[in-house]
Amino acid sequence: MIGTIVKKEIASNLLSYKFFVVILLMTLLLATSFFVLYKDFKGRQADYELVRPKPGEAIAVLAPNPLSIFAKGLDEAMTRSFEVGPIGIQVRAGQKSGNAVFAFFPAPDFVYIVKVVLSLVALLFGFDQISRERETGVLRLMMSNSVSRAKVLTGKWLGNYLSLAVPFLLVALIGFLLMTLDPQVRFGAMGTGRFLLLLAVALLYIALFLSLGILVSALTRRAAASLVVLLLIWAVAVFVLPNLGTLVARQLVDVPSVKALSEKRQQTWTREILLAIVEGRAQGRQAVDANRKTHLEAINTEFDKLEHDYRLKFDRLVRLSKTINRLSPAASFVYAATELAGTGIGEESRLKDEIVRYKDAVFQDFDQGRKDHAAFAYRYRSAGQVLAQGGMFDLGWLAAFTVVLFGLGFAAFVRYDVR
Amino acid sequence: MLGALIKKEIQANVLSFRFVAVAALLLIVVPVAVLVLSTDAAKKVDEFSSRRSGIETYLKSYAHFNRLQNVIQPAQPPLASYALVRGISSDVNIEEFDDDPLPVMFPLLDLTFVVAILLSLAALIFSYDALCGEKEDGTLKLMLANGVPRAKILLGKIVGGTLTLLVPFLLSLVLGLIVILLNPRVAWGGSDWAALAVLLAGAAVYVLFFLVLGVFISARHQSSSASIMTSLCVWVLFVLVVPNLSPYFASLVSPAPSRIKISREASRLTDVERDDLGKRLAAEKMKELVRQYPALAENLSEAESKARAEKDPAYKEALQARVREVGAAWTEANRIQGAKAKELWDDMRRKEEAQTKLAGAVSMVSPLSDFTFLATDLTSSGLMNERHFEQLSRLWEQSYGDYVRARIGALQKQDPAVDWWNSPVDVSDMPRFQYKQEPLAARIAGTFLPLGILAGLALLAFAAAYFSFVKYDVR
Repeated sequence: MIGTIVKKEIASNLLSYKFFVVILLMTLLLATSFFVLYKDFKGRQADYELVRPKPGEAIAVLAPNPLSIFAKGLDEAMTRSFEVGPIGIQVRAGQKSGNAVFAFFPAPDFVYIVKVVLSLVALLFGFDQISRERETGVLRLMMSNSVSRAKVLTGKWLGNYLSLAVPFLLVALIGFLLMTLDPQVRFGAMGTGRFLLLLAVALLYIALFLSLGILVSALTRRAAASLVVLLLIWAVAVFVLPNLGTLVARQLVDVPSVKALSEKRQQTWTREILLAIVEGRAQGRQAVDANRKTHLEAINTEFDKLEHDYRLKFDRLVRLSKTINRLSPAASFVYAATELAGTGIGEESRLKDEIVRYKDAVFQDFDQGRKDHAAFAYRYRSAGQVLAQGGMFDLGWLAAFTVVLFGLGFAAFVRYDVR
Repeated sequence: MLGALIKKEIQANVLSFRFVAVAALLLIVVPVAVLVLSTDAAKKVDEFSSRRSGIETYLKSYAHFNRLQNVIQPAQPPLASYALVRGISSDVNIEEFDDDPLPVMFPLLDLTFVVAILLSLAALIFSYDALCGEKEDGTLKLMLANGVPRAKILLGKIVGGTLTLLVPFLLSLVLGLIVILLNPRVAWGGSDWAALAVLLAGAAVYVLFFLVLGVFISARHQSSSASIMTSLCVWVLFVLVVPNLSPYFASLVSPAPSRIKISREASRLTDVERDDLGKRLAAEKMKELVRQYPALAENLSEAESKARAEKDPAYKEALQARVREVGAAWTEANRIQGAKAKELWDDMRRKEEAQTKLAGAVSMVSPLSDFTFLATDLTSSGLMNERHFEQLSRLWEQSYGDYVRARIGALQKQDPAVDWWNSPVDVSDMPRFQYKQEPLAARIAGTFLPLGILAGLALLAFAAAYFSFVKYDVR
């Protein structure tokens, strides 16, 4: 019985204007996004070849992450070059572009398209499932047969989910396969596995919004009202909550601004260098070197303290904003997707820890007068680690949302007056 | 007649569920957003003043000319308008180790965003069934059975819809502005209010465009369920996709070399290649000199040539000529290679500028970008302010350079034995960087282009809606 309903849903979808426009839009957007971000990745890869440190140099630079084509996240911040010198870590602007329009709008990557457009598309598939069929009278006819409401709802859900998910998967997989043809974009087995996981998260996210659509549709008498409610919920969940949540978290945790921190650093090192020179002048030639060393150490300790203090506060801000933002499934999706791709906040923070550790090792080299430094090596967290450190929570959260919404939808449908 | 139509539209809208839903959303979101933003703005003001006093304390004891410029870099102070509009003011500072990547993940929510996304969506929700919905209900037929021209019906729908949408928005904004007025630490001046007024005019045109667009789409469809699909797809393209793709598109069409590549090439030009050129030029000069002073051709050790120079004045002259000419050759090499490197940088900057221009132009197809540029330029949080800030910084750097030269000169005259570059000095009379917002007139003049494009788009949509409606089968 469910099979028949699923078939009927898919058939009616395939013939509808809605399916045509919406799938066209999705295909177009995904294809454009893949192409544009693939080109962007190639450009950054070419840049990386230029800044790649020579053996012995104390420079930490990561190669651009091929998965950033799908989830750009913080990849641009992570692939900057960090040079270790006598007064700490110097950051080169990396691949910052002179094109100022980039600053205005978020990158249109796969994650963005799924987060914004696919969620909307899923709602469009769900919003009229119950209320429209009541309006047209189909629902009454269907219920006059001996079919349980649970089966009708499951059939509807599956039919619509398949007619949305299959074209989506096809486009995404074809795009991915085309990219693997380029020998310079090396996803490897790991990357492929992570991309598939990314797709799974996206499918879960779409399921959530489809369930939401069906729920609201079962709560309203008219499809038009259902759509209005859904669009507003969508705007709040996708845009308002996560964007406002971060700002609210900032009010609750006192984190110094980046500019304030950088000014403090400038003041510290210029002060210590001056003191070294002035004291050296007063004490005569022999004392200069010893003096210089103590002041460089002072700079280093002060910098480490500033850095440590900032990271503590910033981590607290990140945790709090994550907690607040997770009210919105869109934020959960972004966290899970970017962390899986290795371009998320957690990965960036871990990279910074590693770089600080690398700096300490290079400083030991300086102390022992060694000129050759070991190369910086960074291993991204494995997918298992990512899942264990919050990824699983986001996935579970999305799944729980979906199940609850579907359950509520079922409860509402059972009590629905189909006349 | 038109009055009656507008009244009917407004009444129908106000009683509808969508009006209640949109109004409720706006009345919650706008005041909450303004409350959070203004608290944040006040916090920024506090932090900025503590940053300033930190610098002044430093200057009292440790100001020395060699590294002073690192400490007193020009900084953008927080503006009063940050309580409503943020633009690109958030510091995603990519040049520091401790950066703040949160805005990359989730951009801020501000008034621009509320208008650009929520209001445009609401406008489409209000208008997607303007004509086809009435056709489905059969009221359009009845209306046209009276002697009402179609143009008037269209106008009535558009005016009535815009009014019913703008009123709850303005109400919610008034609540937000009360929040701002109650916050004593966010001090709004006359120019801020004037800028807000122009911004609201822009918002009205923006909303009008989407409303007319919805009416146009509804005139192209026979059923409202198809009309909403088209409307939403067009909205997604205009609002969520075209602006985001435009910089990427521009970088494909009008490529600029990457900064990393240029800096590598420039340093090669002024380093390895300069050495090669310098050696070659010096060798050529030496050949000429040897013709003039054959004595130079002898390969003497340093000590021997020193001894000989003392005895032989002609040889001494030759040596001096050699130093002079070789020095000149290296200067020449430096100049040539420096000019080449400069040309490389200039070329890159030109290309970057061209790319930014193209990206801006492409994105201006989308009304969202037009409105974003308009709002950010009006409130000094956009591209215009970035250029303005750069100009102010340059001016300040010049006056600072003059000051340093004059002070160093005076100090060295006082006591030439001291290394004044690396000694603490009193800099209480040093010119401080003072940020001044661009005058309101200039900011308003900057909005003419985006406002004009928005108005043009609205007119275009109106013409399209009119012609589609004239041919519309109302049965």
